[in-house]
This record gives sequence, C-alpha cells and structure tokens, in this order.
Amino acid sequence: MKKNGVGGRSLIGLCLLFLYLPIFLLIFFSFNAGDSSAVWKGFSLHWYAELFRNRLVIEGLATTLLVSLLATAISTVAGTFAAIGIYNLTKKWRDPILVVNDLPMMNADIVTGVSLCLFFVAFFHGWGSIAAWLNSWQSLIRFPTRLTLGLGTLLIAHVSFNIPYVILNVSPRLRQMDRNLVEAAQDLGCTWFQAFYKVILPEIKPGIVSGALIAFTMSVDDFVISYFTAGSSTQTLSMVIYGMTKKRVTPVVNAVSTLMFLAVLVVLVINNIRSARQAQLAAKRASFEPVPESPRVQRIKEWAATPKGRLTRRIVAGVLCAAFVTVTVFLTAFTTSRPVVNVCSWGEYIDEDLIDEFEEQTGIRVNYQTAESNEALYSLLSNGGADYDVVVPSDYMISQLIEEGMLEELDYSQIPNFEKISDRFKNLPYDPENKYTVPYTWGTVGIIYNESLVDEEIHSWSALYDDKYAGQVLLINNSRDAFGIALKYLGYSMNTTDEGEIRQAYELVRDAYERGIFQGKVMDEVFQTMEGGNASFATYYAGDYLSMLENNEDLRFVVPDEGSNWFVDAMCVLKDAPNYENALKWINFIASTDSNLRNMDYIWYASPNEEALELYPQWYEEQYGEELDPEIYSIMAAPQEVLDRCEMYVCLPKATRALYNELWIRLGI
Amino acid sequence: MSKELIRLKDVTMSFDGETVLDNLNIYFNDKEFLTLLGPSGCGKTTTLRIIGGFQTPTSGDVFFDGVRINDVPPHLRKVNTVFQKYALFPHLNVYDNVAFGLRIPKEADGGADKPGKRQTVKLSKSEIDARVREMLEIVSLKGFEHRSVTSLSGGQQQRVAIARALVNRPKVLLLDEPLGALDMRLRKDMQQELKRIQQQMEITFIYVTHDQEEALAMSDTVVVMNEGKIQQIGTPEDIYNEPKNAFVADFIGESNIVDGIMREDRVVEIFNRRFACLDAGFEKDEPVDVVIRPEDVDIVGEAEGQLRGVVTSVTFKGVHYDTIVDFYGFKWLIQTTDYCPVDSHIGIRIDPDGIHVMKKSKYSGMFGDYSSYSEEYDEINREEPEVSGDEE
Repeated sequence: MKKNGVGGRSLIGLCLLFLYLPIFLLIFFSFNAGDSSAVWKGFSLHWYAELFRNRLVIEGLATTLLVSLLATAISTVAGTFAAIGIYNLTKKWRDPILVVNDLPMMNADIVTGVSLCLFFVAFFHGWGSIAAWLNSWQSLIRFPTRLTLGLGTLLIAHVSFNIPYVILNVSPRLRQMDRNLVEAAQDLGCTWFQAFYKVILPEIKPGIVSGALIAFTMSVDDFVISYFTAGSSTQTLSMVIYGMTKKRVTPVVNAVSTLMFLAVLVVLVINNIRSARQAQLAAKRASFEPVPESPRVQRIKEWAATPKGRLTRRIVAGVLCAAFVTVTVFLTAFTTSRPVVNVCSWGEYIDEDLIDEFEEQTGIRVNYQTAESNEALYSLLSNGGADYDVVVPSDYMISQLIEEGMLEELDYSQIPNFEKISDRFKNLPYDPENKYTVPYTWGTVGIIYNESLVDEEIHSWSALYDDKYAGQVLLINNSRDAFGIALKYLGYSMNTTDEGEIRQAYELVRDAYERGIFQGKVMDEVFQTMEGGNASFATYYAGDYLSMLENNEDLRFVVPDEGSNWFVDAMCVLKDAPNYENALKWINFIASTDSNLRNMDYIWYASPNEEALELYPQWYEEQYGEELDPEIYSIMAAPQEVLDRCEMYVCLPKATRALYNELWIRLGI
Repeated sequence: MSKELIRLKDVTMSFDGETVLDNLNIYFNDKEFLTLLGPSGCGKTTTLRIIGGFQTPTSGDVFFDGVRINDVPPHLRKVNTVFQKYALFPHLNVYDNVAFGLRIPKEADGGADKPGKRQTVKLSKSEIDARVREMLEIVSLKGFEHRSVTSLSGGQQQRVAIARALVNRPKVLLLDEPLGALDMRLRKDMQQELKRIQQQMEITFIYVTHDQEEALAMSDTVVVMNEGKIQQIGTPEDIYNEPKNAFVADFIGESNIVDGIMREDRVVEIFNRRFACLDAGFEKDEPVDVVIRPEDVDIVGEAEGQLRGVVTSVTFKGVHYDTIVDFYGFKWLIQTTDYCPVDSHIGIRIDPDGIHVMKKSKYSGMFGDYSSYSEEYDEINREEPEVSGDEE
C-alpha cells in the first residue's frame, strides 16, 4: 500500500511538473538579457520595459481590457436574469435548457469562432441590401451599408460565450436559495423587482461575482473566438502575442505571457478562496446548525449597518462605477477613434516606430495585423471576413490576387516615393505593367548552416540530401519551397509545369526522407532550432538568417551554385478598400528612403528603394559607429550576379498546384 | 362571533389539468384562529397561497372585507405569511429581518383600488425601531437584535419569522405548517405561544397543518379538507364528536367505523344487534356508517356484553391499554384501563352517546378497521412533517 502511495504521489508530481515546467521556463526567460529563448544571457527587466513601449501590445491590452470589461458587465447582467428565468421554469423545461446552456461551453472554440464569423458575415451581407433599401426609401437617416467585423462583433462574440458561464455559476446559488424567500419579500410589501434587489441579489451575489470573474478570465484568455470575430481592425492581446510568435518567441512575448499568467492566477485564486468560504457557509446553513460568526465579520457587518458605514459603502460603489465608466470610455476612445488604415503584413516585418511616426504625422490610426503565410492570407481574404486596406503578399500570390480581381489599381500620383524604387523591382512578371504594387522588400532563399557542426564549405543543395548529415537537416515546411529547391538541384526550373520533373523532385525529397536525412519540417521554429545549435542545415530567407546570426555566430548563409528562389514582397491595396486614400498615404510613407533604411536595419531584409540601398552602409556607420561588414550586406542585398542565377516564383496553373498538394500530402512527413 | 373578513367563493384551482381545489366555499371571521387540516395534497396550502396572493384561482373569487382581491398582488394585500421553513433573509440580522416590511414604503389606504397615481407612506426610523423592539419582546427575542439569523436555533428562527410578519400589523396572519420543522417538545411550547400571541394581537390566524392534535389544541374553528374539498367545518369539539363522514372520523382521533342499518330513529343495528343511539332523521332501514370511539367502549363479562369478541392484541400505553378485539372477523380498537389478556373472551357495552351515526359517503368502508392493526398503528403514530411543495 505504502509503495503504491509513493508511486501515486510521484505520478502526480510528474503531472504537475509537465503542467508547470513550461510556464516556469517562460517566466524564467522573460528575465533574459539576451533576445533568444534558448540561450540565457543574464538577468534583465529589459523585456518588460520593451513590452510597455510596444504599441501593438499596449493597443492589444487596451482592446482586451475594454472587451473583457464590457463583455463581463453585459453577460453578468444578462446571465443573471437568464438564470432566474430558467430557475422559474418548471422542471420539464429547466433541465433541457440547462443542457443547452452547457453545450456552448463544451463546444470547441474553433467551431464557435467560425460559426460566429459566418453568422456575422451573412448578417452583414443581408444588412447591406436592407440598408441600401432603407436609404433609397428615406433620407432622414443614412444607414451604413457596409458593416465589417470589428470591436462590435468581438464584443457580441464575447458576451455570447460568457453568458453560459454566468448562468452556470448563478444557477446553483438560486437552487440553494429558499424558494419562499421571494414570496416572503413580496408578502412583506415588495414588488417583484424590489424583492429581486433586496433579497435575491444578496443571496446569489457570490454566484454572480464568481460568474463575472470567470467570464472576465475567459474573455481575457480567449484567442480562437476573438481571432475569427475581431476582423482586421481590432486585435486582442492574445492575438498580438500570436502574431509575435509567428517569427519566433521573443522575450517580449515571454514578458507579456508572464503578466497575463499572473493576472489570471490572481483572479482564479480570489475566486477559489471565495467559493471555498461560500461552500463552508452553505454546508453549515443547510445543516440547520447555528453558524457562529467570527467577531471580525460581525464587527464589519455592524459597521456596515451604521449610517457612516452605509455612506462609505455607497461612496465606494459609486467610485467603482465611475471608474468602470471612465475606463470603458477611455478605452473606447483609445481603440476606436480617428481615421484608420488596416494593414496586414508578416510578423516581425516592420520597425514599429514607423507606425507611431506615421500616426503622428498624419493622425491616421494604423491597425497593424499579421498573417502567417501567403496561403493563410489568401484564405482570409477570400472568406470575406477581413477588410484590410493594405496587404503585403509575395510575388506569386500577387499575380494570383490580380488574376482573381482582388486588388485595386493604385493611384501612383499619390505615391511620389514610388520613383525612388529601383527599376530592377518595377514591372516584374507578377505585375508586368506595375499597376497594383509598390515593392516592400526583396531577398533570396539559401542554405543556413552551422559552421561548428559542418566541416566543409557548402556550395550546393546536395548537402540537404547527403547521408553524411542524416538527422541534421530542417526541411522547409511548404511545398512550393521544398519541391522548388529540389527542382533547382535537379537542374530544372522552379516554375516548371512538367509533371515528370516535379515527380522527380518529389522522389528526391521522399528518398532523403526515407533515409532519415530530415530532422523535421519547420517554418518559424527554424529560429529556435538553428540558434540553439540543434540542427546543422536549414533552408530559409537571407534576412532571417541575419537575425539568427545575432544570436549564434557560427551560422553561415549561402545561395547555392545551382541557383535559388528570389522574391519580392510588395504592398497592394485590396479591391473596395474602405480607406483607400489612407492606404496610399501609408504606402507612400513606407516607400520613403528613411522608412526603408530603418526597416532594413530592423528586419534585415533588403529594401527596393535605390537610395536606401546605396545609403545603408553609410547610415549604419553613423548609427552604430562601426563599419557594416560588406559580406553581410551582400547577403542582405544580394548582388545582381546572385539574382541572375535565381528564379522568381510565378503563379502556377491550377493543375500543377493540385499536383504539388497531392505530392506534399503523400510525402506526409 | 364577529364579522366576516375573507371569503372564498366557488374557488377552483387546477395545475396542468389536475384539480387541486374543487369549488371551495369558505369564509374566515375576524380575530378567529382557524385551522385548515388535512393530509398532504388536500389543497390546504394552495388555499393559503390563494389568500396570500401567490396563486390566482383558476375560477372563483376571493373577497377581503367585501372587496374582490383576485388580481391584487401579494405586496398590496393586508395579510402576512409565516412560511413553512421560515424563509428568513439569511443576509440580514434579526433586527433587519423584522424591520424588512416596515422599511418598504407602503401604499396609502385605498391605494389598491386606484391604480395609477399611488401615494406611499414611509415610516420614520424611530417608529420602525419602536415597532421592531416591541415585536421582538412579544416573541421573547429581546437582546437578539444583532444576531445573524443563521446562528439561531429552529425555535428562535420561528419566532423571528412570526415577528417579521406580525410587525406589519396585518389583519390576517397566514401560517403554513410553521411548526413542522421543530421537535416534539418545542412544538408543544410554540403551540401555546402562538395561541397567546394571537389573543394578544387580536388578529385572525389562518393556520395550515396536517397534525390533528395541533389543530384541535389551538383552533377556534377547524376546516377538514381532503382531495380539494371541504369535508367538515366546525369547532374542535364538533369535529371530534360529530364527524360528518368516515374520512373525518378517521382523520381526527381514533375511530372504529362499522356498517350499520338505521332501523328507526335512535336505533341502529350493528352485527345484527340493535343499539340505542342519539341520532335521528334517517330513512327507515337506511345503511349508515357508525363511529365508535375507542374510549367509549366499556368491557364487561362475556355474558353481559351487547357484543362478544376475542382479544387479539394488547399494548400498554401508560394511562390505558390499546386492546384489539375481534368481533365476527371485524377488529376494533378499544382503549380501556382494564387489562384483558390475549385470547380472552370478552363482552362490550356501548352507551347511546358513544355511538355516532353518519350518512354513507364515498369514504365508507375505507377507514376504521383495525384488522391490519400494526400498519394502521404505525400510520397514526407517524411524526414526520408533511413534505413541502407536493401540493403544487
């Protein structure tokens, strides 16, 4: 028996360890002086300071607080009355309704999120025609015909998923309540509402409070449902964090997660202590035994009953209400005012000071959001749930968007800085007449390898398929790049539509996979793995290589002799963008030489701005007081001879895309 | 006695098609202690709730002081209720519980008749204080003002509930099995206490119980109910001595109920033997129910008896023996101070005033046989309170 006990206890210990170790690790690394999540470089509060300077985080926090507070307030009131309504039903109806109430809580968030999103979009669609009809019929009130996902829908979604939790918490308190209490109050002269206020409310208050606390934590916590209902103009804190982790987990994420964890922890501990006390009290009450009151509680109660105590209570309640209203009004003003432009880009793909600067200069608020990949962006756009103004897709995706008529032509007269874009990056195949795009960055894909783990200089893609490096190679996790590289290695075009050639490339990758060459397939995890020295080879972008180099000096980058992919990411405006003028202003601002210099310095991707390209080494020296390593610069902005052996992706025909897909799935790594 | 205060006229109540009150007609006098007595499910609590305003009758009218009050909500009625489990407000102390009703601004007199503009009366603090303290004194809870109600014993909570209702000076106090949750001793004490309070306050008490002893001990008038109908209304003595039918006879006290035939006025035939009685006005040879209370039977020698039987069981009860005697296959309960051993053959005599003749009713033949003595015995000795809410 005893042995069993020890076994059981260590099992529990192990479980707890698994649960909490990652969180402790996260908290630990939030105090890391360095910017890697794998290498400890000393204690620092640097990231916390950074966190509060990060405008995305602060905005996200404001949105989260606003939505959580409002949703909690609304759902608490609604849920409480709903619970009372359910309580007053006959048993025949009550039980099924409580089951119906439980369902949304058990339901997968993703289902709730997607269904709400669909509902809103369908409603907006219908509303559009109703509003148009109403407007044509009268001219007194102009109804907006175009509604979009945003703060309103986010709030509605939060209210709707919070109400069941409030009901769940209030119902048991009602059931515990003596059914005759309300009648007793009415008997003594109360109307129903007076009875509710004077008797029911104090009785179920603990349930309401814990319901509200849970609703609040659920709201703060929520990511999935928010993600689907917030639209493009609004971002909660958890969405901001998610956006940040797309590239890599910077310690800012650790810091903000630590704070969130602590905040939720505090709320939960308060709630648990409360409910434990209530349960004790209820048990005693139910047993009809006299409950002796602690002198402290009695003193407080007596004090609260004195005129002074009553006045104090009222003042405190008033102050709390006023504070709540002030906070909501402030947050609303903070999150919704001013003209806006909605931008969707990639994670860690801009010097965020530029956003502040643009806002200061123009007074236009920038809603800056990020997508995960071109494909994810495409599906977001084609779903109709998002209403971005500016997107920054890559070359091949741009041609697809143009083909499908999803982009708006640009009015270049309002983008004077377009002139500064190097001719090398104008009229490229994805936008041959350059009617839709202003290039944002460009770069190459190459091999990143760890010098300390590889004892030769790498010049060829062959290293990725070499038995020598079995288990040391990270395969890039998207079919286009993975097969493209294989095609290049085999001497074919990356844009080939020849099925035989593509199948050969597939065989090559599959064979290497079967021989155990690949450690795994990665996208953004590549940062952690390569910086931590956990793999020798990866295929990735030059700009990102330079970020990694800051954390691990042993890393090298090469564009293999066989050639590779080079790409351009360009800013485009979506068809029917609600803020077209603002979008052009944004594009012009970003295309300026100053913005390009700073972006280049921040994200290490090459700028398409001729001036900026030329000025950068000099600018770097002025900024940091040291010379820019020309070798690094040539990796960042590859010289023309490197570009000459590279290919730009073009949009593949549908049949080829399907083949890619099929083979990628069959590979099934 | 005094003037009529409340009248229920042709009141019928049904829930989900099930009739709980069937065409009830009853009136309540001012300053009287009236008890609605009956088994659970008989409709007595529903009657109380209709008077309190918590339920509206399906059909029929309720009058208060001659005014129809069917649609007057509870908070405007001049009645107050003491609930079964007290329904004290747990978040308030004793004082605040009692003061609760006084702190609600009340309609000025006549307000109930004129909806629309309503004048409210608010009592001053000092008046509230005086009335609460006076009331707490009446229910012997002086000094408990600041105690939490959850820290009180059942009896004390009961007193708070009574004080909370009475402090509003209602014309009528409704009490729904108020002593059900108390133990035997406390219940006896509270019965006395309630009667004293009723006399002191000089108001009407309408009291609901299933405990016949309680009803007989406290009431001026007892209303026996069953299956949503009034079986009998009368003083406790009337109800006990002159039950109208087998149900009442059985429900109130112990009874042997046997079939008889009314041969002529003041002569009834039982087991083919003629007995002298005091009842008259029946048809000749009309079949009737005959009630003989166990204490009205005298045991005599076998030879002298009007009836002869065999003792089948004897239980010592302190003052008397509960003796079960078999007469021609029908078993009687006889309460006697004479000890007769089991299997002894005895004779009995019944004086004319010990016999009560009733018309046949739908309850005939259902009660009053002690053949399955032990079961019946258990039943009459049960002490568990009526389950609440099952009349709804």
